[in-house]
Amino acid sequence: MAEPMKIRATLQGDVADVRILMSHPMETGQRKNDKGEIVPLHFIQSVVVTHNGKTVLDAQWSQAVSRNPFLGLRVKGAKAGDKISVTWVDNKGDKRTDEATVAAAS
Amino acid sequence: MKKAWFKWAALSVPALIAAGCATFPDQATTRQIAEKMVSESYSAPTPALLKRLVQDKSQQICSKIGDAKLTQEEAAEVVKLARASIQYPESGQLVGDWKVGDKLAHDGAGDRIQFGRLEKRKENGGLCQNCHALAPGEINVGNVGPSLTGYGLQRGNSEAVAKLTYERIYNGWAYAPCSNMPRLGATGHLTPEQITHVVAYLIDPASPVNKK
Amino acid sequence: MPRTRSGITAFAVACLTICGTVLAQGKPDDGLAVGRQMLAEDNPGDLWIDRGEKLFYEKRGPKKASLEKCDFGLGPGKLEGATAQLPRYFPDTGQVQDLESRLLTCMVELQGFKREDIVKRAISPAGSSGSDVEALAIYISSRSNGMKMNVSLSHQKEYDMYKAGEYLFYRRSGQTDFACIQCHGEANKRIRLQDLVHMTDKKQIQEVVSSWPAYRGAHFVVRTMQWRLYDCFWQMRLPELNYTSDASIALTTYLHYQGNGAVIRVPGFKR
Repeated sequence: MAEPMKIRATLQGDVADVRILMSHPMETGQRKNDKGEIVPLHFIQSVVVTHNGKTVLDAQWSQAVSRNPFLGLRVKGAKAGDKISVTWVDNKGDKRTDEATVAAAS
Repeated sequence: MKKAWFKWAALSVPALIAAGCATFPDQATTRQIAEKMVSESYSAPTPALLKRLVQDKSQQICSKIGDAKLTQEEAAEVVKLARASIQYPESGQLVGDWKVGDKLAHDGAGDRIQFGRLEKRKENGGLCQNCHALAPGEINVGNVGPSLTGYGLQRGNSEAVAKLTYERIYNGWAYAPCSNMPRLGATGHLTPEQITHVVAYLIDPASPVNKK
Repeated sequence: MPRTRSGITAFAVACLTICGTVLAQGKPDDGLAVGRQMLAEDNPGDLWIDRGEKLFYEKRGPKKASLEKCDFGLGPGKLEGATAQLPRYFPDTGQVQDLESRLLTCMVELQGFKREDIVKRAISPAGSSGSDVEALAIYISSRSNGMKMNVSLSHQKEYDMYKAGEYLFYRRSGQTDFACIQCHGEANKRIRLQDLVHMTDKKQIQEVVSSWPAYRGAHFVVRTMQWRLYDCFWQMRLPELNYTSDASIALTTYLHYQGNGAVIRVPGFKR
């Protein structure tokens, strides 16, 4: 079962500053374990971020992205209370979706 | 076992505890407490490796706490012990191959203990790059020790310089008692032969250390 | 096309404020400081805090109990400010204990785990998803975020621990003739490109004690103070420091006391 993400979305004017921490091994398929065996390729292939259901980011990642990746983006035209949803799918078919609500600037 | 020791320690200072006056232990008591901790707090694959924690006379002198200073007598003793410890290679040749020394100087591995195993390689790395700048232009070098860039350019490569350099690596405390420099030869981390290669790396005009 | 003029202004001002704050932290051309700031703001260690919180309240072990009754010195279950006053003496065990030692006590007493089993898994392999101990340690520490380190010495054993820790800090041994002071006794020193903390400097030792547990980038896991001390002795070619041994707690007591006044801010971020 994929580990939960940590999503923060704070409003700055009418722009939501969204910061996402993902938990994923992001194995390049080139690393060797203690026994000298290649650790198989295992990485997040696609990331989709939606704002109130509308896709605002659609990314294809490769194994070049490092372990426990961080993704930051700014979403224009956001309001406090809006829903930000993040979904990732990896090359093994594992997926994870988490949501956050845009918080007003403090 | 731990609890029994603490009970013993508590019994030995009954007056203080009874009076409710806890206080810093004096130097001798501190040493006793701490050395007992050292004997109980570490593990190693063999008893011989555990002995790495045992201090020799010079280390004891050089473990000054805080601002405590080395006295003249102590410094003289450390120098004397250091001089006596210096051993030269069988061949008598103090300058080896700078190419071998180059590899050694950049090698920071060997002889570490982890997960119940000793990191045994054919020979230990010289660790030099960790603390010293070496060939000009190298970025990934430390500054805990003085820069050795241009070492041979500054001093030449005479027999006297070779001997001094050899001795400062074998046991630098013969010249600077209690300095931060490890006594690489005296402690056995490097062999005399290995040190001759490091000497060459430092003083040979062809060595990268002495490139302009 | 932006919606309103005030919208553009707000966006621009927000950007400048963020960038301004980031740049102000480091020296004028210290690009590394900017990078470190960015890493600190979005630290994967935060994921461990969430895991640790879950583990803390979960009924675990043979006794199927949570850690809610664990006393870290301020009373059972009281976590706010707990790590700020550790290490300290605990009457129930008769020992001075640091965070991890106390956590072990509770996992054994309250949850029924076997001590040897916990010790074996406490320090997780690099690249793994981390151990339960690491997650719990950082969660508990995070509950003191924003508070000042405040280790006090009142029990005789606390005085003994402090002095023993100081003694050990300066104790030279092994084929490297190293004590902690050899690498951590001067300003602006580094091993290769790794900056060394000047531990006899008040500000720098405060920075150290306030930033553990930390996410170790190269290991991809959260590491604790127990691990950090262990790793130093490894590098010094000395025998392995036993987990939560007296020597480790003595050194931690000494360092934390020296760092009193530091504002706790975990997770730290290390290379």
